[in-house]
Amino acid sequence: MSRAWLARPERLMPVVSLAVVLASFLASPMVSGRQLELFDAYNALQGFAHLGLLALAIGITMIAGEFDLSVVGTYALGGMIAVSTGATSPVAGVLAAVAVGAAIGAAQGGLIAGLRIPSMPVTLATYIALLGLTNVLSGGLSVTYPNSDATLWVDQTIAGIFSPRSLVTLGAFLALALLLGCTRLGRELRAIGGDRRASRVTGVRVDRRLVGLFTLSGTLAALGGALLAYSYASANPDPGLQPLILAAVAALLGGVSLAGGRGAPLGLLAGALSVALLAQIVVTTALPDYSTQLLYAALLAVIVAIESPGLHRSIDRIRARRADSPRRYPCPKP
Amino acid sequence: MQQRVSGSAAGPALDRVQVRVEGLARAFNGVPAVRDASFTVGPGEIHGLCGHNGAGKSTVVKMLSGQLAPDRGRIAIGGTPVELSSRQAAQRLGVALVDQELSVVPALTVGENMLLGDIDAPLINRRRAARARCRQILDGMGLEHLRPDQPVTTLGIGERQLVEIAKALSQNARLVILDEPTATLSDVESAHVFAAIRRVAATGCSVVFVSHRLSEVLDLCDRVTVLRDGSTVATTAVQQLTVDELIVQMLGETPHRLAASGGPATSQAYALRIEGLSVPGRLADFDLTARAGRIHALAGQLGSGASDVLRALAGLHPKATGTVRLRDHEVPYRDPVAAARNGIAFVSNDRKTEGLFLDKSVGANLVATRLPHLGRGGVLRTGREQDAVRSIADLAGLPAGRLRERVRALSGGNQQKVFVARCLDRADVLALLLDEPTRGVDIGGRAAIHRLLRQAADAGLVVIFASTELEELLELGDEIITMRDGRIVRRYQGDADGSALMQDMTHGVDQT
Amino acid sequence: MTPADDPRHSAATTAIAGSPGLTDPKPSATGRVPRRPGPLTAASAVLLLPLAVLAVTTDRFLTLDNARAILASAAFVGITAIGATLVMIVGSAVSLAASQTATVVAMVFLATQQLGLLPAVLLALVCGVVLTAAQGAVVGYWDANPIVLTIAAGFAVGAAATWFSGGTPVYPASNAFAVLNRTLLGLPVSVYALLAVTALAHWLLRRTTAGRQMYLVGENRAAARAAGLPVGRVTVLAWAFFGGCIAVAGIFLASFNTAATVTLGGTLTLDAIAAVLVGGTAIAGGRGSALQTLGGALLISVISDVLLLRGYSTGMQILVKGLLVLAVVIAVHLRTTRGWR
Repeated sequence: MSRAWLARPERLMPVVSLAVVLASFLASPMVSGRQLELFDAYNALQGFAHLGLLALAIGITMIAGEFDLSVVGTYALGGMIAVSTGATSPVAGVLAAVAVGAAIGAAQGGLIAGLRIPSMPVTLATYIALLGLTNVLSGGLSVTYPNSDATLWVDQTIAGIFSPRSLVTLGAFLALALLLGCTRLGRELRAIGGDRRASRVTGVRVDRRLVGLFTLSGTLAALGGALLAYSYASANPDPGLQPLILAAVAALLGGVSLAGGRGAPLGLLAGALSVALLAQIVVTTALPDYSTQLLYAALLAVIVAIESPGLHRSIDRIRARRADSPRRYPCPKP
Repeated sequence: MQQRVSGSAAGPALDRVQVRVEGLARAFNGVPAVRDASFTVGPGEIHGLCGHNGAGKSTVVKMLSGQLAPDRGRIAIGGTPVELSSRQAAQRLGVALVDQELSVVPALTVGENMLLGDIDAPLINRRRAARARCRQILDGMGLEHLRPDQPVTTLGIGERQLVEIAKALSQNARLVILDEPTATLSDVESAHVFAAIRRVAATGCSVVFVSHRLSEVLDLCDRVTVLRDGSTVATTAVQQLTVDELIVQMLGETPHRLAASGGPATSQAYALRIEGLSVPGRLADFDLTARAGRIHALAGQLGSGASDVLRALAGLHPKATGTVRLRDHEVPYRDPVAAARNGIAFVSNDRKTEGLFLDKSVGANLVATRLPHLGRGGVLRTGREQDAVRSIADLAGLPAGRLRERVRALSGGNQQKVFVARCLDRADVLALLLDEPTRGVDIGGRAAIHRLLRQAADAGLVVIFASTELEELLELGDEIITMRDGRIVRRYQGDADGSALMQDMTHGVDQT
Repeated sequence: MTPADDPRHSAATTAIAGSPGLTDPKPSATGRVPRRPGPLTAASAVLLLPLAVLAVTTDRFLTLDNARAILASAAFVGITAIGATLVMIVGSAVSLAASQTATVVAMVFLATQQLGLLPAVLLALVCGVVLTAAQGAVVGYWDANPIVLTIAAGFAVGAAATWFSGGTPVYPASNAFAVLNRTLLGLPVSVYALLAVTALAHWLLRRTTAGRQMYLVGENRAAARAAGLPVGRVTVLAWAFFGGCIAVAGIFLASFNTAATVTLGGTLTLDAIAAVLVGGTAIAGGRGSALQTLGGALLISVISDVLLLRGYSTGMQILVKGLLVLAVVIAVHLRTTRGWR
């Protein structure tokens, strides 16, 4: 790992955040006074499975310069559909959820690409509508999932620290890393996020890519919701804004910028792992609740500082003024 | 109406036709941008496309590259009529493009940009092959020092342009269109580009070269088509052309060379005094004492630093160093708000993204920068606002009936008038800085804006403008300062002539 | 006063078809302005007509009590939304920290009741304004991304709320606030607050230098900067007003609930954004108005009310709200982009 390799923010952010969080995780016994066990790692990975797919879904849209808020709606709806259709066959439930998620994503992508509307207000509206739809489907109550075999299966331990759920999540990250890393799609995605006009001029099929992208993000979110519902043996009609915010934090820590054009699935993986580990640290050390929030606030403050052009201008201005002053008030030379 | 002088003559097979453009027309919102553009390009020919601002060059390029559908007319490539419905369709037919605007994506590496949007690029990346090809392309453009995996953000503006040109030339196209490719390049870089263009043409590829730099066009091209008001004026072989003749074709008449008028000398106390103004990487040690009542012209191509002088004074270069004094008060010029408060008004060269509020009304734009003066204690008075709008519109010669329209609906010339007028007739403005004050403005609008600037100077303002247009510099500048590579080349006090200016701007010997 | 629907519906119609005076889209002298508002106005009429029919045929809709209920239910969200309108106009898109700020304000308000009503209100207002204006300063002077920043601020303020309350509900020492729950001429005090805030915001946006500069900064920040407009100051002002609005909403929330828990703010953030968007304010900034937002908030309220009276579930209300936001966002986008490709 050379310094030049690390110098780019999309690599520096995830590497640093994961390293810091991992170090504090390993150091947490000093505070808690309890040895780390395999179970802690398992729990952290369960937390990762909890928000990983959501972070991936929102992260890839951020790479392309969009911001898909509707993923939480799809997430909730996916869980609800999986629970209500997958009682006898869990696989059928997941497939139904994923199909609905993909359809919603495709429709949104078509709208956003076709009319060239900024994605945020559109996906915000869809988010509200999807929460409403989930609510209607469930009658406003949590719906329990009767198939306890499936619930036990998705969370069984594999190799001590994994579960099928966390493995699926991990697999999605790796598959996407492979897809974006080894095909033209990766650079096209970043180009669309970095400079959409130039992408069009050079001949990237921007609209087609956007539709595909939103379809993918809908699919991933629905899959995440379905797996979560199986794991909890119930589907919650209103997850609130919290999962969205945590997913966005994971994406930002993963080196993605809201301005677009930057980031990769492996960075997102590191970001999601960081957030999951952080939550686990708070659990094992029994720190008060709000310390996590303060930590997130601090980490995001760093991101804000790095990505504020106005701040950089102010610093330049102060430097230039300082460089100027000796000329105006020449110091007497000894 | 149009005479068509068909070029005979030299070099490549001009008797054969590879690209035929016939009767192309396109209107925007009912206003025709191109009426009747026709020309042919032979295989291996480098064909120049020239025209004054607004002659329709860019629109022709957009239609030829698949970005815009023509209303009428035909395009044929290799003898078959083609429909260029999208950039992809155009690429599939072998049309490569270097857009007027830089279209290299900074978020990607050099190598990734080379492959971006290339329809021949495989779905699965083949890193080694792509690297080798990229290396070869870069070397061919004199970019041996760049690495394919280097992020584009680390490149200078000229290098980025070279990467884009190299990419377009490497696509094995049948037609390469280059729209103002050399605007940001130095002579050495341009030389590389020309060599590469000639190499590509030698393989039988047709090249359409659009440029404002006429000597360059005559140097490089085999034939030149001139557009005026959206129609082809003539296609001429370069052997039969001189720069002056080209200008005549473009303008329809011989340009006047007015001697500079050398405005009235006023008291030194009203001067804008700039000492040692520097912007890292852009401008070095710029000195100027600009007196009120005179118009000072900065002559320099893109990248010469002329526009950076103005931007630095307006507070848009926070890294700038040096002292600026206006009427013997030091101006804290590194912040746009402070610069404006100290009496500096700036008209950017990009009125769309950095100038007007396009979706606001003409009236709202005219008073945008003087709102604090239209009321008391931060509360506006409607009557005063209306009066102000009317009197400024009157001053600038804007049609009174259109003040409630969105600025977007106005023509380029009227938009620019709004932009300039916004800074006029204000007690708090002492110095007026304009970057390319008449870019994209028709002849009539241009004259009106020049009149406004002269009036402003006569009213006691310090006026400094930067321009690349010789006529404008000669017509308007009482003092002309030529610049190149961030430094002053020479200062002219009323005794300038066009060829000397051009000489300074393009070849420039440092004399200061 | 008959609780007729005209005021509401005309407000809603302006929300979609109307436009702020600054961007008056009069047919131009070139005569080539396409008549796109036509179809859009028609579409909004088609949308609103069934609503009107549905509303008046709904049992108990045309009653004074119901009109009061609609206004009262629009108040909390409406007040916040009016503030959010200014932030959206100035080009800072949205703030995701409104709920948490309202919660903290509510806690401060209830915890300082023993000082008397007025000091408590002032303290709460100062708290809301300072917290929010500080975010505005970072956005305005540093060009920080408002979404990332307000997520961070939401965490920080939420943590402060938890720390402040120790995780338990905050109860007031006295109930001086009870006066805020009273009704005046049949309407709750909060409704008057909503109207006052709307009037103030409208005056600010239309009649003051700073308000007009908000539209300019929001429409084209780079141009405003190059012209030397006080971009930072104007942004801070918009956010400070937003903070004041959040504080007012927080005060009423606290009075209404007589206790403040960490989750008091609830879905205020999103509801406010939804109301602003339904009012037709574009998320990109530079256009919109306080009256439009009031219309948006009332429209949402009316629809929820009709659905409620007709026995639909909360889920259906949320679903319809989402679809309404979507429809308006698309309509506004089509309207602003018409005429130039």
